[in-house]
Order: sequence, then structure tokens, then C-alpha cells
Amino acid sequence: MEYQTKSSAEMNGMCNSKLVTEYLCHNGFSELSIESKKLPVQDQSESSRKKAEDESRLPALEAAYTTILRGLGENTERQGLLRTPLRAAKAMQFLTKGYHETIYDILNDAIFDEDHDEMVIVKDIDMFSLCEHHLVPFFGKVHIGYLPSKKVVGLSKLARIVEIYSRRLQVQERLTKQIAMAISEALQPAGVAVVIEAAHMCMVMRGVQKMNSRTVTSAMLGVFREDPKTREEFLSLVKTS
Amino acid sequence: MERAKLRQGEQEDAAAAAAAAVAGGEQHSLNGHCEGGRSKVARCRESPGEASGSGARTPGQSGHSSSVMESWKEERTRSVEDNEMSLPSIAAAYTTILRGLGEDPQRQGLLKTPWRAATAMQFFTKGYQEKIIDVLNDAIFDEDHDEMVIVKDIDMFSMCEHHLVPIFGRVHIGYLPNKRVLGLSKLARIVEIYSRRLQVQERLTKQIAVAITEALQPAGVGVVIEATHMCMVMRGVQKMNSKTVTSTMLGVFREDPKTRDEFLTLIRS
Repeated sequence: MEYQTKSSAEMNGMCNSKLVTEYLCHNGFSELSIESKKLPVQDQSESSRKKAEDESRLPALEAAYTTILRGLGENTERQGLLRTPLRAAKAMQFLTKGYHETIYDILNDAIFDEDHDEMVIVKDIDMFSLCEHHLVPFFGKVHIGYLPSKKVVGLSKLARIVEIYSRRLQVQERLTKQIAMAISEALQPAGVAVVIEAAHMCMVMRGVQKMNSRTVTSAMLGVFREDPKTREEFLSLVKTS
Repeated sequence: MERAKLRQGEQEDAAAAAAAAVAGGEQHSLNGHCEGGRSKVARCRESPGEASGSGARTPGQSGHSSSVMESWKEERTRSVEDNEMSLPSIAAAYTTILRGLGEDPQRQGLLKTPWRAATAMQFFTKGYQEKIIDVLNDAIFDEDHDEMVIVKDIDMFSMCEHHLVPIFGRVHIGYLPNKRVLGLSKLARIVEIYSRRLQVQERLTKQIAVAITEALQPAGVGVVIEATHMCMVMRGVQKMNSKTVTSTMLGVFREDPKTRDEFLTLIRS
């Protein structure tokens, strides 16, 4: 917890510390891995431990999926459904693999000191997540921009941050905020902006059934929040022509 | 000529289907909603030569298993009461899944998720609750029309039966009526009934085509489905822009290349 409170004090009023700990607590998923600093060797055993953990949980997931199929009135013995519980369980584990990964693991090496203080934008990052209310996918694009303060991050790491937080049971608002916070914490930039535009299958496939609806959320931190011109520059650069 | 052949073929198949239905008791095997024993649906996907004893097969309709045909009339295997009764067990299964993924089912966002997810899944498979015959019964009209009728860009949402992940895309349907036309929205309703199930895109295409054939006995039917499979996009190979296209051409659409061509050109524009 020390790691989190120290960095929250450095936030320069971007948010209060309560928000930081709330948003960084892995959606309530209680893994301790973010608090321990690990050596690369330990990393390997960590990931294989998690893989073994995944496999040990598979039978319970399979049984649950079999129950679901039967409850829907399907015949679980027919050819097309024979291995579906296993496949569906593995698919679900893949779609929630973000719980196993930590920002610290992926960012550790790729922060560089560059004398750059202009906006850096990575846009149109495809994002796939699961709605935590209906367990149905939502997907779209993430646009990230930040104004570095002498420290830049490897570009693919922005996409990896998106992956970590999106491969979970999510709410789009929280996802946007988590991505913005993670970048803030790692780089201490002058400002971070994240915009997500997504289609929610829970609205498209069921419920109101509005095919073309899109949900747009954004998180602006630091100078992006305070200075409207910076924000405008970012928004015009990510606008798809 | 071809129309007569198609109709005769259907009559033969219908007779065979009736015979098979009587012989097989209560077995309606489409999508595995089978009251007993070994599922016949596997034969839907086998080549014509392999399936034996499944009923007469006419030369003009290769790959046309009678189990597909007989199920058109008797489809509904789930009722609203069934839904209510199975909801608790499905919700409990979802709670197990949430725990198995390492989540905390007691946190605020997840408190009612098992119920919501169970209801959502029942909605995504509501095609099992509906019968084609109920949907179509009134809307077949006698019109002296024998030109192609096309309804295209019908949004379709289904569930992959292998991964339980959504499939979505568009369906284009064309048919050449033989003095009988169908209410246009009924084509979309047929798509809904068959797509809101655990499906395989090939089977879905065929089921839609067969249902229209059976209902109207038209000169020909063409169905084209273009869909995105989330199981390929969100996981596995992760190819974002891939689309799967399947088609079924029956009757004069299969035999006459010019008719087929006209249909494909009209749906493309």
C-alpha cells in the first residue's frame, strides 16, 4: 500500500488519494502482486503459478458452463457442444486475463528519459472487454494522449496498459479512469488524456437493441483538464476524419 | 421444370420426414434440442453419402438432411415457464464462474450480475422458444408475382456454440416466389428465430433457407450471411477485420447461374 500512497501524494491534485486506491485495486480483485517488487526470475515462476492456478480452476468453470447449457435447454451430448464447456471456460479465462497482469511488470523497462515535452498520442487501439453486469462483450477503440515531463514510455506499452485493464469484467467509465491513472502514476507526466469509444453488445444484442449506439467516455488529467486548448488539440488530433 | 422438381423433391422429403418422425418417436433434433438419445443433428453437417436411413434424398437437394426438414414444423422446445424454472441454476452457475475467474461476486458491480447474465443468456437463446409456424402462419399471401424478392442487410446476432461468444453480422435473403409471397418482416423473424440460438454459421444459413423453402415452396431461395465471430476477434487468432461469409442457394438459384448472379449483384449494391 505504501507504493500507492506515495504516488498519490505526487499527483498534484489530479485526484484525491481515495480515488487512486479505489481505481488501482484491480476491480476488487484481491491479488497482492502489485505490492511486491519482483525480480525477473521470480516473474517467471509467478506467471507459471498463475497458469497452474488457472488450470486448477478450469473444472469448476467447466461444470458451471455445462449447467448453463442444460439450463438453456440444450443437449450437452450433441457433437457441437461436447467440448464447449471447456472451450467456453478457457475463453472466459482468456477474456479476463488482465487480472493476472500488473502494470509494474510491463512498464518496468520501457520508461526512457527524453527531452520531449510535446504531446504524444497513440490512437485507434482496439479494445475488447466484458461488461461486468451482463458478461457480454463490449469493444471499441481507445485513444491515449499524454504530455511527457522528461519521461516517455515505449509506445506499445500504452497498448499493453489498455490490454491489462480491458481484459477484465469492466465498466467503461472505470476502464477509462484506470488507464489514465496508470499512465499518470508511471510517468508523472504533465497531463494524460484517454478517450474510449465502444459498442456495448448488452445494448446492441439485447435490451434496447440499438445497433448503432456508441458510448464515449474520457478521462482528462493534469494539464489536459486545466487547459482547454491542450484538450482541444488532443481531441482534434484523435478525431477520425 | 425446375420448380416442379423442387416441389416434388420436397414432397418426398416431407413424406420421409413424417415417416422418420413417426419412427423416431419424439425426436426433433435441430440444434440438439432432442428429447432423447443420440442427436441426429450431426447428420446435418455430414456429407449426403454418409448419413444412412435418414430418409429419402432427392438428387436435386444434396446435403439436405431430413432432420433439418422435419424440425421446421415442430421447433419449440423451451417455454417461458422453463426459463423461469432454470434461471436460479443458471445464475448459480454464473456465480461459480465469477468466483472461478478470481472475482469477488459480492462487490457492488457484480452483486446482481449472475441474474443479469443468466437472463441475458436466455435472451440470446430465445430462438428455442419460438416456432416458425407460429410466426409465419398468417402472412403468406397469394400474389401473381414471380420476380425476385430480396430483403437485405438484416442485422443478425447469434452465439457461437463452441465458445459461447457472440457472432453478429448481416443476412441477405432472396427468393423467387411461385404465386405465394411472404410478409417481408417474416423473413427477418425467421432470421431471429434461428439466429437466437447456439449456432454454427453454416447451419444457420441452411436453416433459414430451408424454412423459407418449406413455407412457400418458391422457385428458389438464396441466403447469404456475412458475419464477424467474436471468438476469432477477441481471442484465439485475434484477427480484427475478418469476416465469414456463408451462403445457401436452393432451387433455381442453385441451378441457374444467371439468377444467382442477379441476386448476388443486387445484395452487393
